[in-house]
Parts: sequence; structure tokens; C-alpha cells
Amino acid sequence: MGVLSFSAGTLGAFSLIALAFPFISLFTILWRSKDSLGHIAIFNAFISFIASFIVFCCVWNKEVIHLQTGWFTIGENVFTAGILLNNLSVLMMVLVSGISLLVHVYSLMYMKGDPGINKYWAYLGLFCFSMLGLVVSDSLLLIYIFWELVGFSSYLLIGFWFTRDAASQAAKKAFIINRIGDIGLLTGLMIMYAQFRTFDVVKLFGPMGLVDSASIIDGIWISPVSQMPVVWLSVAGFAFFIGAMAKSAQFPLHTWLPDAMEGPTSVSSLIHAATMVAAGVFLLGRVYPLFDSLVFNVIIIIGVLTAFLGATIALTQNDIKRILAYSTISQLGFMIAAMGIGAYGESIFHLATHAFFKCLLFLSAGAVIHQLHHYKEHHQLEFDHQDIRLMGGLGKKMPVTFISMCVAAAALAGLPLTGGYLSKDAVLITSFEWASGYHGFKKLVPYVLVLTSWLTAFYIARLIFKVFFGKLRYEGITEASSSMSRVLIVLAICSLFILVSFNPLSYEGSWILAGFTGSGVKPFEVFHSIVPIVVTIGSILMVLIGFRIYAKRDGRTFREKGFFYRFSNRAWYLNEAYNLMFVKPVERIAHYSYRFDKLIVDGVVNLAGAGMGVLSRVADWLDRYIVDGAVNGAAVLARHTGNFARQFQSGRLQHYLITMLTLVVGFFILTYFI
Amino acid sequence: MIPLSHFMFISAVLFCLGLYAVLTKRNAIQVLIGIEFMINAAILNFVAFGRFDKATGGGQMFALFTIVLAAAGVAVALAIILNVYKHFRTINPAKIDSLKD
Repeated sequence: MGVLSFSAGTLGAFSLIALAFPFISLFTILWRSKDSLGHIAIFNAFISFIASFIVFCCVWNKEVIHLQTGWFTIGENVFTAGILLNNLSVLMMVLVSGISLLVHVYSLMYMKGDPGINKYWAYLGLFCFSMLGLVVSDSLLLIYIFWELVGFSSYLLIGFWFTRDAASQAAKKAFIINRIGDIGLLTGLMIMYAQFRTFDVVKLFGPMGLVDSASIIDGIWISPVSQMPVVWLSVAGFAFFIGAMAKSAQFPLHTWLPDAMEGPTSVSSLIHAATMVAAGVFLLGRVYPLFDSLVFNVIIIIGVLTAFLGATIALTQNDIKRILAYSTISQLGFMIAAMGIGAYGESIFHLATHAFFKCLLFLSAGAVIHQLHHYKEHHQLEFDHQDIRLMGGLGKKMPVTFISMCVAAAALAGLPLTGGYLSKDAVLITSFEWASGYHGFKKLVPYVLVLTSWLTAFYIARLIFKVFFGKLRYEGITEASSSMSRVLIVLAICSLFILVSFNPLSYEGSWILAGFTGSGVKPFEVFHSIVPIVVTIGSILMVLIGFRIYAKRDGRTFREKGFFYRFSNRAWYLNEAYNLMFVKPVERIAHYSYRFDKLIVDGVVNLAGAGMGVLSRVADWLDRYIVDGAVNGAAVLARHTGNFARQFQSGRLQHYLITMLTLVVGFFILTYFI
Repeated sequence: MIPLSHFMFISAVLFCLGLYAVLTKRNAIQVLIGIEFMINAAILNFVAFGRFDKATGGGQMFALFTIVLAAAGVAVALAIILNVYKHFRTINPAKIDSLKD
């Protein structure tokens, strides 16, 4: 890794290149032709990955690069924008661009022939650009902007097949729930600015930064420029955490993630592996020094609860993508909980390994769905091609997909020789070490996590056995095309231990973990040997049970009814609860407002209108008959007078004479008799 | 001796006949004749009143002047009628109405 060396400015330029190229993909939306767009987009993703990789090689475990420039000035406050490249951001960069490159390559076949393909590449480019921007930004304000962009582009991609009602509903749901998180992040931003008068991440959270040096005296939180009651410190921590909760799908804001499965599977893969949901964990990593013990407790509770909840729901789902979605929620719970117990490095480590195996799981599931969908169309059958109950025996027909999905499943279940094993053990062991120093509910945390990882092994085994083992239902189904399979193979290799550590059984040798400061808890040697053994044996047992039930199908099965089954299958009834608690009241308020609007407001308006109508009719009558009447009457009088007078001027001499005579005689008669 | 009122009566009848002719006839010559009737009614009055002015004979004198004037008037009127006929190709006063605007 030491071969390459560039100056800080060059590396900054490289990271900007990594940002700019996916953004160029956005403009493919303008193209009319749809033929070569995929190759352009892949090229952009490739350049982005290469640039990210160079930056990664030059920055990892070396000096932090921080470049910034003045952005704008309000009054005397100068706002800066810039790039912060430290271990966290370069790791995320290479993860995001790498996963995105693989997803791009995969999409070329997967999305082939879609009528909106130019939009697809454009949105995908925007998505990667936003996430890379979020990762390298050095200012909370910039992070907020990219945060919103990530939410927006995920909205576009989830609702990519927007003509389907479910897809557009899911996109709206994702967007609205993410807005709740955005409010949290914005609140955090405002508190930080009010307290420290800067958005600069390095100044705020860096070593000996403003947050570290701010002191708490007598319940007052004092920074060099301002002070406020100490409760705002917790509020700020909560606010940032709410942002992370929405993006990283933590209970109770996780419900958008399973619904987001309505998007194309390649997009789900990108969302779940590297871009969208990782943003929340990344944000926690960025603002890590801010959290106080109260916020940490909440983070632990939410994380553990989410991990457990996701695993229990995944047990009984039948849609292949929904199982994976809930497993993502569960794994994110692990990461968040790890953040909460102070295992910062372990959390990021798990994020990195999870990115590969979850991407692989989704892409393999996508391959299965893709092939089944084509089979269905070719034979003109009608069945739900995402329902695992209708699959079976695919292992023989789709060996590459089968093997790569098994590797990913093993990584998810935490079986040895995989990256997932190492990172999960890292989290679990650290949690045991951490819990040994506490009493009360904190003692429970590691046990719940161990239970969750056993459940994880069970549900992923169920998925594998149901899809790939048993009787083959669909004769003549074939392996996914080679460009898709190759991506699966690359990801399968990346999911193995070799990428993160040379020692397949111990996480301590992992180079990723070495790049972050340790959790600081006292190590207990005993946990390092017992925990992996117990967890692995439990997981293997779970896999065997799953094998007995789902692969051999010897009649032994779970009753698919009963309270617990329904509770899990309906996702703890949370959607229903939200419907009852938020959607229904809002709808009712909307209904009443509508009625109020219709009856009162519209009534008043209509009444005024009707009044005006009557008034104008009166005015019209007055105008027509009185005013016009007077005018017309004058005119008529004048006309008649004129006509009458005109008769006298007939032009005939004798008529004049008669007139004269009449007048003279009349005059004489008048004077004579009066 | 014939009383004055008889002259006056004849004169009034004559005047009315002339007036009637002037107002109703459809021929300018007849209208002219009507005018002569009216002038002669006036002359008759002059002569009749002249009985009360035997010394100077003013009434007879005026009658003479009037006869001369009437003759001159007729001459002028006939010339006008001739010109009217030339201009309008008619002497029916009902058809000559270019006096109106």
C-alpha cells in the first residue's frame, strides 16, 4: 500500500473525481437512445472506484487530509466547505464506490430492456454521488445537504417502477419516515451551531475539538463562544441519533425498509449494503464525541431491540426480499448497539463486512428472482416469483448463485471462515467485555445479541434450504447470465475472511479494526475463546435444525398459526400500530378539516358569493330599468320629438303654407278669445 | 245702397277660395291663379273701403297700384314656374320637395 504517494491536494482532487463521475451519470437521463447508457454509467462508476481506491491506499492509517475553502459569509460568520479524508471516510468511500461498481455491472443484465433504463442509470449515479459526498464532507451543513440528497435519490429508486401502486406507496413511506430523521439531524445541526458557531466537523469533533474541550459546570454546558443548559447536550445527541435511526432503519423508524423492497433488487442491494442505511451508522461515527451516557444508553437499547426485532420478524417472512430486509434491520441493530457500547471500530468493521455479504445476498436473491421471472414469462405461468414457499431445488440448476448465496448466508449467520464471523464476534465479544463492568439491564445486552445471532442463523438457513434444497418445481430453469454470476463470485470472495484478516478465526488481526481506535474496555481473555465457540456451535445447531425442518421436509414443521407466528409474520404489528396511532388520526383530522373546509369555510365563501349574486341582480335591475330607463327614455323622447318636428319640414311648399296659416290663425284665435 | 258687409263677405269668400286653391292645387299655374284670387279679394276690399274716402280717392289709388303689382308679380311668377319646370320637369308643387334638408 505504500507504493503510491500523492500530495494532499492531489488526493483531494482524486476524491472529487470519485464524486464527480457518478454525478455525470445523472445526465444520461437526457439521452434519448438507451443502448450504450449502461456502459457509460459503469465507466463512471469504475473511474469513481479507481479514484476512491487510490485515495484509500494513500490515506488509510496515514495522515488525515483536511482541505477546505470559504463557502459563503453571513455577517462575520464564514462558512467553509471542504473534504475530510480520514480512516472512516476513505473506508466508506472505497466501500460505497466498490459496491456501487458491482451493482452497476450487475444491473446491466438485470435491468436490461426496462423502458426507463436511462432514468435508472441517472438515479443510480445520483445516489452514489450523494453517498460519496456525504462521506467526504467536512461540514455538518454539507453532510446535511448530501443526507437529504441520499434520501431523495432513494425515493426515486424505490419508486422506480412508480406505475405500480405498492412501489409509489413504498417510496412515499421511505421519504416521509426519512423526513422525521432529517428533522432530527437539522435540530442537531442548529444546536451545534448555536453552541459552537461552526459546522466544521474537524473543529467540532476532532481530537481536542470544541466538543471535547467544552466543559460542564453546574449543569451548564460551556463552549468557548456560548453556553446553554446541559440538557441540550443530550438533546443534540438524541437529535443526531434520530437522524441515524431513520436512515439506518432503527426501531421505531424501521418500517420503511421492508417496504422499500418494491424497488429493483439491485437497488435494494445498494441501499442495504453501502449507501443508504450505512449513512446512519456513518453519521454516528462522525459525531461520536458528542454523545453522553444518557444518549449512549438509548442507542444501546434501540440497537439491541432493533437487532432482536428484525431477527424475530425475519423468521416467518415468506418473501425472499423481505427476509433479507429484516435481516438488514437486525444487522444494523448490531452496528448501532456496538456504537452504543463504545465499540466504534467494531461497528464500522461490521458495517464493512456486512456491506459485502448483504450486497451478495440481495444480488443472489435478485438472480433467483430474475430467472424465475423469465421462466414464468416464458412458460406463461402465474405465481409470485418472490415467495420462497414456491421455490425449491434451485441449487442444482443455479450452482453459482447457490454457492455464493451460501457463502453470504454463512457470513450473515456468523459461521467461521467468513468476514461476517469475524466482525460479529468482534461486536459480541466487545459487548461481553463491556457488560462485565455493569449491572442491571446492561448485563442482558450481550445475551440478547447472542440470541439474535442464533435466530439469524436459523432464518437464513430457512431461506437457503427453502430456495435451493428440496424438490425442484421448475424444470428447465437456468443459471443467471455470466455477467451477473461474475459479480456474485467477486462478492463471494470479498465476503470471505481473507479480505479483512489473514487469521480466519480471530478478529484481532483485522486491518480494518486496526484502523480505528479501540473500544477502551478492559479485555477479558476468557470471552475471546468462549464466545466464538458458543455462538458458532449455537449457529450450527440452528442451521441443522433448519436443515431437518426445511430441507428434508420429513413432516416436522412449525405450526403456521398461533400468536407468536402471527406476531412475527405481521412484523410485530408495528405497521398496524402506526396506522392506528398516526395514519388514522391524521386521516381523521384531514377528514374533519375537509368537512370544516367544506361546510364552514366554503359555506361562508359560498354565502358571500350568493349574497353578492343577489346584490348584483338588484343592481342589474336598477341599472337596467332605472338608470338605463332614464337614459333610454330621454333618447326616446328626443327621437319622438325629432320625428314629430321633422314632419313639418316635408320640403313641400304647400305644407309650409298650411303650417304658417295654422299658426297665424291659431295665434289670432288665441289672442281674440283669451 | 249695398252695405259694406256684403263687400267684406264677398272679399272673404274670394280670399278663402284663393287660399284653398293655393294650399291644395297640384299645379303651380292653379296655385298662381289662387294667389290672383287672394290679391283680387284685397283689391275688392280697397275699393269697398274707398267709398269712405271720396275726397282723396286713396282706396281707388291703392287698388290701381295693386293691380299693377299683381300683373308684375304674375309675370315674375310665370317666369319662376317656367324655370321650375325646366329644372324639375314638373310643376306639381307636391313633387318639388327639395326645400327639406
